[in-house]
Parts: sequence; C-alpha cells; structure tokens
Amino acid sequence: MDRALIDSLSSTFDALRVEVPREDRLTVQAPRDAVMSVLSFLKGRGYDHLHMVSCVDWMEEGQFELVYVLSAYGTGQDSASNPGEEIILKTRIPRELPTVVSSISLFKNAEPYEREIHELFGVRFEGHPRLTPLFLERDYEIPPFRKDFDTRQYVEDFFGSIPPVGEEDQDV
Amino acid sequence: MDRNQLVKWLKAPAKMGHKYSLHAVYFCTGCGIIEVPPSITARWDAERFGVLPTATPRQANLFLITGYVSVKTLRAIIRTYEQMPEPKYTVGFGSCPINGGMYWDSYNTIKHLDRYIPIDGWIAGCMPRPEAIFVAVTHLWTLIDKDMADGYKRYRKHYAAYRANQEKVLRGLDWPPLFPVEEQ
Repeated sequence: MDRALIDSLSSTFDALRVEVPREDRLTVQAPRDAVMSVLSFLKGRGYDHLHMVSCVDWMEEGQFELVYVLSAYGTGQDSASNPGEEIILKTRIPRELPTVVSSISLFKNAEPYEREIHELFGVRFEGHPRLTPLFLERDYEIPPFRKDFDTRQYVEDFFGSIPPVGEEDQDV
Repeated sequence: MDRNQLVKWLKAPAKMGHKYSLHAVYFCTGCGIIEVPPSITARWDAERFGVLPTATPRQANLFLITGYVSVKTLRAIIRTYEQMPEPKYTVGFGSCPINGGMYWDSYNTIKHLDRYIPIDGWIAGCMPRPEAIFVAVTHLWTLIDKDMADGYKRYRKHYAAYRANQEKVLRGLDWPPLFPVEEQ
C-alpha cells in the first residue's frame, strides 16, 4: 500500500483509524460524519470504483457497521492508485437511529446496495431517491437481516398458519 | 406404435395425445433448473418421452417447479400457472417445493407449494438426477391414464381456498380471480 496515501489520509482527517492488514489492503475506520468526505477524498485519489456497500449488525454493541469497499479502475491520470489494491472503509452507526448520508452523489452504483441494506437492515440513507422494497414482497416487523429477527419463530407463526388445501381428495 | 395401446388410443385419443406431447413451460426457479438443459438436449434427450420445452405458458401443459420458491417467485408461478391452458400438469422438482427443504427456516421462502397451486406429483431429492425427470414423466403417464393427474380440476374445485392462501402470502394480488369466488 502506498505510504503517502496513508499519511495524507491521517493528516487530512482526524479520528480515522487506518490499518494495513495485508499488503494490498487498507482498512479505514471513520466516524459517521466523515464518511462522505473520506469517500470523496479517496475517489479524488483514483479509487473510483465502489465494489459494494455492506452492513454488519453488532447487536450486543448496539451498532450497525457499514462497509464500503473501494478499488481503482486504473484508468485515471493519477498514478497514485493501483488496480490491485482495495480500500475498506468502515463506519459504525447507532442501532436505534440508523441514518447515514447516501453515497449516490459520489458513486451511482451504490443505489441498489443501499436499497437492499435499507430493506434488510432498516438503515435509512438520506438523499436516496427511492428506498422502496427491492427483494421482499412482505412487510416484516423487524427487518429480517437484523440479529434480533427470529426466523424460526416467524416461519412457525406465518407459514405455519397457512392451511393445506383439499387434502381429503389428494390421493396422488 | 405399440399395439397393446391401440384400445386406449381408440377409447380416449385426446388423453393419449396429452400424454405423449407434454410441453414443459421454460420457467426457471431455484437451482434445479441446472438439471433441465442436459435433460432436454442430446445427453438425456427428453424428446424421447415427448417432453419439449416451450417458450410461453400459453402453449404449455407441463409445469416443472425446479427449486425453492421465494415469495416473489410465487407471484410469477401463480401467474404462469393460471395462463396455461387445461389440461395442465404440475410437478414439484427437488425437496424445496415439497416442504421448504434446506430453506425450512427461511423468512422469505414458501414451505409447501401445494398450498398455493395444485401439484400432481413430486420428485424428491436434492438434486434429483435427470433420470428422475423421466421416471416422473412415465409416472405422470400412468396418472393421466387413470385420470389421477387432476390438479387443474382440484384448482377449480378449491379455488377459493387456494386464492385465500395466495392472498395471505402476497399482499395485493393485482389480478382478478381466475374462477368466480363465492362471497362468504
């Protein structure tokens, strides 16, 4: 990983935790308010491809962790970025009020990821144009990917309540 | 032609026609569909059994449901099933449509498909081999012969109950009932 990038990251932003777990990987822990500025800083340094946005539920700590994975296409004039390297930006948000600013203004392809996270974890992305259901057909009381969603109880209660049809003349 | 079957042909030619020209609607759900391309092409050649894939449900009479059914897929399955002309036969393929299979505790997967549309036969297994499709097809012939492949008749008979179950899972079915449902 480019030493200069790490230095400029930690000198531009305070309250960042930068680690290099592998030679071609950089992990950045940022506070919620700094996410957009860090993303735009990294985009300016040539890391112009957002692989994905993901979410982790840390229920015991009462937090969600949003994970942005960035890498470089390597087509820009800026040679600071290397296409083989990836940057993982993590941020923690409180579970009670999970709102974060949408990153669509920087990376257009964040739209379906954020929609999915909104649907499955209930994280609200401010500025997202359509936070409508993407995969799910039904409404769930708790978004189903949260750790406190009891799938077995749900299956028992809901799918168990659907009666069989015409069982008396099913002789096949 | 098999001479032993001559009487059957003379007695019920339409039934024999349905039996030996099963047109399977090309509808892919879940992972079982991976077994279908080798089954219909040179390696196993489903045409030996008169089974051909058909592009549109309006020309098909065999519906293979080849894997787990998510709630969203159920909507498409019901629409497809209702578009098929009668007589139509449905076969659940793999363990997931039977009782959920390995998705038995999933929040978004239908557990018992026969509570939403009628099923004429099941192929158990995860995955069933392509040979199992042909065993199912020959069983289906026997069922058609004995008038036991009557899923489409059961659908008419119990339509109110099927529709009630469908509406329970899919909020706001955006098409009218296929058959008249009496007010209760």
